[in-house]
Amino acid sequence: MRLIKNISCITALLILITFISGCLGNSIMKSEDQIHIEVIVKNRIAPFWTVVEMGAIAAGREFGVNIHFDGPTDEKDIEEQINMVQRAIDLKADAIVLAACDSEELVDIAHEALSKKIPVITIDSGINSQKVKSFIGTDNVGAGEKLGQALVNKVGDSCKIVVMSFVKGAASCDQREEGLFKTLDMYEDIQIVDIIYCNSDVDTAENLTVEIIEKYSDIDAIVGLNAYGTTGAAKAIIEQNKVGTIKIIGFDSTPEEVRYLERDIIQSLVVQNPFSMGYLGVKYAFDAIKNEKIPNIVDTGSTVIDKDSMFYIENQKLVFPFTDGLSDPTVIP
Amino acid sequence: MSGKAIGLLKRIHIRLKLNSIQNVITLSFTSVMLLAMLIVSISLYHLFSDSAERNAVTSTQQIIDQVSLNLNSYIAEMMEISDIIRSNLRSDTHEKDNLSDILNVTAKIRKDIVTVIVYTQKGDVIISNPTGAYNNSFEVITQDWFIELLNNPDGFIFLSPHVQRFFEDSHPWVVSLCRGVTCYENEEPVVLVTVVDMNFSTIEQMCNNVSLGKRGYIYIIDEYGNMVYHPQQQMIYAGLKTENAIDALTREPGSYFDDHTGEKRIMTVKDVGHSGWKIVGISYVDELVANRKYFNGFILLITLFAIAFEILASFFISAKISRPIKLLETQMKRLETGDFDISVEVKGEGEVKQLSKAFNIMVARIKMLMEQIITEQEEKRKSELKALQAQINPHFLYNTLDSIIWMNENENYEGVSVMVAALARLFRISLSRGNEIISIGDELEHVKSYLTIQKVRYGDKFDYSIDADSTLLSRKTLKLILQPIIENAIHHGVSPLNEKGIIKISVSSESDKILFQVSDNGYGITPEILSELLVQESTSYHGSDSSGVGLKNVNERIKLCYGEEYGLEILSEVDVGTTVNIRIPYNGL
Repeated sequence: MRLIKNISCITALLILITFISGCLGNSIMKSEDQIHIEVIVKNRIAPFWTVVEMGAIAAGREFGVNIHFDGPTDEKDIEEQINMVQRAIDLKADAIVLAACDSEELVDIAHEALSKKIPVITIDSGINSQKVKSFIGTDNVGAGEKLGQALVNKVGDSCKIVVMSFVKGAASCDQREEGLFKTLDMYEDIQIVDIIYCNSDVDTAENLTVEIIEKYSDIDAIVGLNAYGTTGAAKAIIEQNKVGTIKIIGFDSTPEEVRYLERDIIQSLVVQNPFSMGYLGVKYAFDAIKNEKIPNIVDTGSTVIDKDSMFYIENQKLVFPFTDGLSDPTVIP
Repeated sequence: MSGKAIGLLKRIHIRLKLNSIQNVITLSFTSVMLLAMLIVSISLYHLFSDSAERNAVTSTQQIIDQVSLNLNSYIAEMMEISDIIRSNLRSDTHEKDNLSDILNVTAKIRKDIVTVIVYTQKGDVIISNPTGAYNNSFEVITQDWFIELLNNPDGFIFLSPHVQRFFEDSHPWVVSLCRGVTCYENEEPVVLVTVVDMNFSTIEQMCNNVSLGKRGYIYIIDEYGNMVYHPQQQMIYAGLKTENAIDALTREPGSYFDDHTGEKRIMTVKDVGHSGWKIVGISYVDELVANRKYFNGFILLITLFAIAFEILASFFISAKISRPIKLLETQMKRLETGDFDISVEVKGEGEVKQLSKAFNIMVARIKMLMEQIITEQEEKRKSELKALQAQINPHFLYNTLDSIIWMNENENYEGVSVMVAALARLFRISLSRGNEIISIGDELEHVKSYLTIQKVRYGDKFDYSIDADSTLLSRKTLKLILQPIIENAIHHGVSPLNEKGIIKISVSSESDKILFQVSDNGYGITPEILSELLVQESTSYHGSDSSGVGLKNVNERIKLCYGEEYGLEILSEVDVGTTVNIRIPYNGL
């Protein structure tokens, strides 16, 4: 009789195990559905960041995770961005993808997130932290070098230039300057007349450019280190009737910049790959959640384009974000 | 805890002794069923996965065929639209207003047509829909396709996805159908080029509306392997994803395995009419595997249930088979201990029933044989004893006869006649026609005769008295039970005495027993001898007058005849005397 008991016990146990494992499997599947990744960028409405958003959403769709895309409306609003990260931590996001407005100010809040076991992946603009391991973005030093080379190609190796930088202290800004100067150092006849900071604001850039043109009438070119600076400079050049006289070598490929490029107001642009930043940011965040090894630095690359080469089939893909044709983000309202 | 666990294991081990029939049956049942179940499961699994794979390939192919059909008709529609424009252009240049109407209507109906534009061979726009600021920096005459169409006006060219550049500040991604048309202006042939730009909405719809499993998808490549449409075109363009387009390009229509991404996928290739495009369907093998996993789980569950059920079933079956055998076994164990009062009531299967029947018969036979042996043994002993009691000691006879002769020589004739009469009585009663049982009166008569002879022989060395309840004289007793006791009393009790010995014999009733009492006033018996007296054969004393029948024999005869509660009881005190009590049943045979 005891044998019967033993056997029925074992049978019951087997059935139980089967059911439990089935339920367990289901619950694991469920928890994966609810993964929530917070993508916080410098500026949620600027064209560059909308492409980042497209990439993040594409990745979210591919990996089946919820993406919440956010960012201040002004790149200098560091406070607001810190608040957004804080909110993401409070909401117990599974991971945070961050493009930092400031490489120092965001360190503390990023560390707080890490201390709560929330992985932080930085894209485009990193922070000065040994703990935040992963950075996905343009090799800004390399991009700066390319910018310098584009200047030499379009303006020549003997010229006077003004550098339109953006925010002193921002990692991407400093690195682009570093790369630019590295190239320009090789050409002793290129004279940097001034370096000005537009604070990532088109109007400031425009006004500063107007001042510069008045101050240094003999400059040959303005080198913009980001989209705001480049756009502002282009606007000022049009306003001051200096199109062609003062050339513009710039950064990024907003629709406005592309328009200026097509009309010979801007001569050359160094374009990045924001779609990849968004996509890879989410992808590696997802990997980090799953405790998989992720690379420390991922270079999404940069390319120099001009009026002609922008329509090369391989560059079209970078300059004009692909849409299915139902909406056309390249058309400026 | 661990000690307990080990104990439990040991117990289970003991319980699961491998040599019991039940466990042998259970185990062999289970293993055979397990093997069978495994074979069935595995073959089911293979059957299922094979057919699942075939089905997947077939259904993918059907889907791709459908998409290809749709795409063909879509392209044919586009051709028709450009045909209308071409025929319009050919007929009369004055009907240009009519053409713009047609274009307007077309643009309104077809949301997927982004732009229709007609160029002269110099690159000037004749008509377009929509209209707008033309992009001056875009020189259409430098485009390869434009030059090719000028040279071959009857041909057509599909342009893979590219950014439209006709208008300022508008750069949508489009697919283009470019065709030439030869018109005659002032009798001179003039080549016009029409371009129909389509967005991806319709193609996307066609490709997205079909399902190739959860993750499967469809993409379209052109004749050079450029991506025309891909559900993740953005990722393809950003270089985040690649497709094995070159491989697909070289393939004939059909289904192939592809592990380009490291995952096992099924690639189904199909040509699309005259566009030179190829549709490629990708479905993931591991989705089938996921299905397979579900199926596996199902099979596993069923198998587990079946095994559990089967173990229980085989356990019960084996229990049913082995229970009667076990019953038989316990009964046999009882038999081993010597209990023959058993009979097995077995209701089991035919063989076991037969076995138990045989067992019962065997037990009965053994029991019968045993009883037979016991009676035979008893008979044997009885006859032995009979022989013993019938035997006349030659010495006694010789001595007696010698005494008679001696008396005769002394002319004591009266003595002779007494002796001879006593001897004759002795023998008569002793033989008593072979009867075992005689009356107590006869027994006393026998004793009297014996005592008469002995008294003569011992020369009045003792006296005796017989005191019998006269009502008992007619009762029956086993014969010759008193004489050996008296013989003992004479030899060991009174004969060694210096003074005159007295032997008292009495017969009385004692509840339902009859008590014979023989007492003497002899030396008595030491307790050591006393304790052995009824155990040892009476070989210690072989006097010349011994009848050769010991006290033990008398005792055994009484017990054999009447039962254990009857027999001899010897009470003795050294220097005082000995009393022997003989008890037989009142209602003896």
